[in-house]
Amino acid sequence: MSETPPPTNGLAGLTEDEALAMDHALGALGRADRKAAELRVVGDPDFRARVERWQTALAPLDEATAPASPPPAVWAAIAAETVAQAPRAVPAPAPAAPRGWWHNLALWRGLGLGAPVAAAIAVAVMVQPDAVPVVAPASGPALRATLAGSDGKPLLAAAFDPASGQVRFAPVAQNEAGAGKVPELWVIEGSNPPRSLGVIDISAGSAHRIPRDRLAGLKEGSILAISIEPVGGSPTGTPTGPVIATGALSAA
Amino acid sequence: MNGGHASAGAAELARLLARVADGDAAAFQHFYDRTSAKLFGIILRILAERQEAEDVLQEVYVTVWRKAASFDPARASPITWVATIARNRAIDRLRARPVRHQAPVEAAHDLADQGPAPDAGLVASQDARRLAEALHLLEPRHADAIRACYFEGITYDELAAREQVPVGTLKSWVRRGLMRMRSHLEGREA
Repeated sequence: MSETPPPTNGLAGLTEDEALAMDHALGALGRADRKAAELRVVGDPDFRARVERWQTALAPLDEATAPASPPPAVWAAIAAETVAQAPRAVPAPAPAAPRGWWHNLALWRGLGLGAPVAAAIAVAVMVQPDAVPVVAPASGPALRATLAGSDGKPLLAAAFDPASGQVRFAPVAQNEAGAGKVPELWVIEGSNPPRSLGVIDISAGSAHRIPRDRLAGLKEGSILAISIEPVGGSPTGTPTGPVIATGALSAA
Repeated sequence: MNGGHASAGAAELARLLARVADGDAAAFQHFYDRTSAKLFGIILRILAERQEAEDVLQEVYVTVWRKAASFDPARASPITWVATIARNRAIDRLRARPVRHQAPVEAAHDLADQGPAPDAGLVASQDARRLAEALHLLEPRHADAIRACYFEGITYDELAAREQVPVGTLKSWVRRGLMRMRSHLEGREA
């Protein structure tokens, strides 16, 4: 924009637009020039096509970059901000729902930082968007719970969105389960005995589906709890192992 | 054979994206599982800071969720589409950082060594092998400059300072190199 260097050897026939498209696709422009190029991409289809042509030409370079597995907390945060939201009406703009506390990756991450984390556990628990929860009117409040150990340290955060019927549990707990043991999730309504919401798969980034008929207890004031059980879950239908974390559901 | 494999993968990713555009959560997670390690690698290479890279990866997939409907398979492969979003977000984040001390000169040359040799014949696709081959036809310093810009997101100005050459010289290395690369690729295609 400010100064365009004169063409040098080997650059004959390179138009200013083409040079800018190349520079932008390569990612070599400084902040101000980059912003200007982005505006052109938006407003100028010909320029955009030039940029995209270079992007496509350069993209195979990415194969030389070693893949790196992101930690499970990242998926939990993404899920909280995307699939956990109400199913989108087809052409609607991004939902204007307020950004809840669970949208913040730093928060999810921070939950685990107080304790010596042996292994991060992150579980995205979701039901299919079309699986209408039995009790969870779309008008109900979003619920949250922070599950803490007996020492008060938060181990796991949960968020329930009644509009979509999705429950998410994210991150971060010490993996105290040990060999042959698995964490199991429970909901306790009032003075009723705990009802199992299923064994939580602690393999990184896996999804776990709660049967629809078990969503019934997910309401304000109910307690979520996690116990350590034999593989396959509690054999008795009630918690048999140590309860490592509990927390009450409250309006988000 | 790699080409056929790659396009089968591309077709599946395109199908997943179409379902994501309809709000299909399972398809979205599947798409994430298939692509996130690649994108995280790209972002991490540009930003180096793990936590920042995680934040950017989150932004990228939220963008993918919201914009899946605008993906046009006629204009880019699915993986190129998301990788471009990832690079752009990472570079935006890099540009927003306060100016800091430059990485040592050797960094560009270290990076150069990570590229596959033209006939490495590893898992690289045919496109990647041909691009690497085209890069190897350039003067090593010019190829290094292209790699440094692409992989590190470094600006012309920063790279010129690092390489201790005038900015105009550096720009002409890169641009001339890219033009030669492209005519090599297109010449082979014709």
